[in-house]
Amino acid sequence: MSENEIVARTEQSGELVHQLPVAAPAVDVYENDAEILLHADMPGVLKDDISVNIDNGKMILSGMRRLQSTGSANWREFTDIEFRRTFAVPQSIDVNKVHAELKDGVLRLHLPKSEAAKPRRIEIKAG
Amino acid sequence: MITRLQDINQILGAMDLFRNQMNSMFNTFDRTYSGGRDWSMAETYPRTNLSDTGDNLELIAEVPGVNKEDLQVKIQGNYLEISGTRKPDNPEGYTVHRTERESASFSRSFTLPYEVDAGKVEATLKDGLLKLCLPKSEAAKPRQISIQ
Repeated sequence: MSENEIVARTEQSGELVHQLPVAAPAVDVYENDAEILLHADMPGVLKDDISVNIDNGKMILSGMRRLQSTGSANWREFTDIEFRRTFAVPQSIDVNKVHAELKDGVLRLHLPKSEAAKPRRIEIKAG
Repeated sequence: MITRLQDINQILGAMDLFRNQMNSMFNTFDRTYSGGRDWSMAETYPRTNLSDTGDNLELIAEVPGVNKEDLQVKIQGNYLEISGTRKPDNPEGYTVHRTERESASFSRSFTLPYEVDAGKVEATLKDGLLKLCLPKSEAAKPRQISIQ
């Protein structure tokens, strides 16, 4: 193919992706000696539509809400949405032990600290 | 005609992309979910959707983290009131880094487009969504008229 050739192509309908609007969920962040705990509001999101990806010090939390709406709308104040937010995760988190529960539209994500990172009291011995 | 539709679809797809870009600006400025509709600022809480299925009105409200016991629904004729409290759920013995999820009591009232039968209203709370199924009162229901 020569370098000067200009290829005109139009987007095929199969390539179109209708994306959900994206918004950041409101979160609370707590920490104690053992773990970092994150609470995120995700009303209407089902368990299977939530994903948590931790990679290279970044955690991407994502939850899709797909509402089943019936009938004709009188008013709409919220819609289908993707709740997505990216967090920086410290190295001290033990990625394998991260776990979460979802209740009443609130995701509670536990990020346990690795043993090496837990605070430790150092005994000072008299010499 | 088909090509026309594809053109329109393409434009809509481009607009989706554009809207997401604009919304991600909010993320950049560290602002959180504040409306199903973009750019809406002032808040009414809880946000609701109302739809009409013929015999019933269906109202869905976003109430994440609110217990069943802390929600009250009051109905009279075509007046509906949802009130409740969102209790703080901060765990014991943790230091707090960030609090964006407010705990407060709330109340919102609506004038429904039809009178509803308060005795037959069903309410369910699931995944942080309160769903109310409000059967229209007999007088407000659609009726088939037979032609003489």
